[in-house]
Amino acid sequence: MADQSLSWFRQYVVLERAALRAQLQYRVNFWTTLIGGVAFQGTQLLFLGVLLAKFGVIAGWGFPEIAFVYAMRLASHALYVVPFGSLIMADFVIRDGEFDRMLLRPVSPFLQLVTLQFRLMTLGDALLGVGAIIIFGLHAPVDWTAPKLAYLVVAVIGGSLVETGIQVFFCGVAFVSTSTFSLRVFADSSITQFSGYPLTMFGRGVFYGFCTAFPMAFIAYLPATVLLGRTSEVPLPTWLTVASPAAGLAVFALGYLTFRKLLPHYSSPGN
Amino acid sequence: MTRAGQRSVVAFRGDLFTGAVTLVIQVMLAIAVWRTVYAGRPPVNGVSAETAVAYAAIAACLQSVLMPWQFSSLPMRIRNGQIATDLTRPMGLMIQVFAQNLGTLIARAPLGAIGLAAAAVLRALTLPPGWPTLVLAVVATVGGVLVAMLCNLIVSMVTFWTLEAGGPLIVYRFGSAFLSGSLIPLWFMPGWLRASIEWLPFQAQVYTPVSIYLGQIHGREAVALVGVQVVWVVALTLLLKAIWRRAYHKVVVQGG
Repeated sequence: MADQSLSWFRQYVVLERAALRAQLQYRVNFWTTLIGGVAFQGTQLLFLGVLLAKFGVIAGWGFPEIAFVYAMRLASHALYVVPFGSLIMADFVIRDGEFDRMLLRPVSPFLQLVTLQFRLMTLGDALLGVGAIIIFGLHAPVDWTAPKLAYLVVAVIGGSLVETGIQVFFCGVAFVSTSTFSLRVFADSSITQFSGYPLTMFGRGVFYGFCTAFPMAFIAYLPATVLLGRTSEVPLPTWLTVASPAAGLAVFALGYLTFRKLLPHYSSPGN
Repeated sequence: MTRAGQRSVVAFRGDLFTGAVTLVIQVMLAIAVWRTVYAGRPPVNGVSAETAVAYAAIAACLQSVLMPWQFSSLPMRIRNGQIATDLTRPMGLMIQVFAQNLGTLIARAPLGAIGLAAAAVLRALTLPPGWPTLVLAVVATVGGVLVAMLCNLIVSMVTFWTLEAGGPLIVYRFGSAFLSGSLIPLWFMPGWLRASIEWLPFQAQVYTPVSIYLGQIHGREAVALVGVQVVWVVALTLLLKAIWRRAYHKVVVQGG
């Protein structure tokens, strides 16, 4: 078993390296794409900055708190998008019949989808995620202790698993539906735009929706309330809020299970 | 050509449908954000809560029509070599691409209308102060559309040099979302930022038409802003022509 997981990792490294080489062919694109990654997430941060400079607080949260939630989201996003970013291409692979070829190769189709393309833009995300969590972590009203830091790390990993799980779920759906691209873009941009806010401000019903049907609350908001000492604002039992990083495993498992379940339903577009 | 562009959008009805649902949800959340931000506050910088909420809703709809995920087929045509066939057609390439993009825009317009309808149901929309304002707002919207299309096309032209244009397109996409005022109106920006943005073409795309519609900018100032749009349309057209002249000699046909 240990042997096999090692070879999985080796397979991943080999395939990802090839994908990276393919992308480095276009030099100008490399740099602009890198900046693109920063611009994508950065405009939202800029928006929050301008908004809060004018208005001071949103639902009782000031800029240091909101920026910290957003930074947690950026860090977990980076942790999802660098290794798993090419999952967003699954639609095209399936629609163009390229997936036929993947099924023939002696490597797991999931691994092949993951290493399909090294998305350079994601390095920009990584840069921004690391930078933001350091800067806004220091400015956040949190007395950092070792357990709190450990909780932050676990929460960021959990958040990245939530995002990965959502995307893997859509990959599975792509086997039975022709186009899930706009759904993914929707998921991605909703998370980008709204996961930084104190989510309870959208009303109780919407908030519970963010905890279940579209589990965005687990990415940053819930664990952030623990670190910021604001769990009393959350209409959930405190222990559940504290345990929120564990939701990452559940969402990922659910996503992967959907992927495995729907994989046999793939029918080649034929060509 | 315009029809073809229109058809290529309509062909993927599923995507258009999810696009509409997406926009409705995003408009709803944007409205919620601005209502929370104001939360009983008196007008800020002379802007009332109703105006700010209406701005956010209309701007989100306008932006989603102006910025489809794939705003021109030009990069793809260059990448797969289709460009060679396009160049032999008896119609200028720029006209072809422009017409096609116009088709995409027209096909996506109902999307914006659905978003606006949702905003109306949530009582987030306000009526313009009078007929002259509405007429001027419509003119400014056409101006904004032209500026946006020209900008989209100019950025796509980069592909002639770099062959792969994902990067520049993304920087442009998100940069313009902020600079056009579709994320946050220019009223709330600090003076230095606003002053620099006013020198760029992007504000003509969203900020100008929406703030004229809401009556936030009126009279001579509004007419002047439409004048600025006209200047940008002329300037960007000239720029596009100049770029195209140089690109024509750079065309690399990929794949035989």
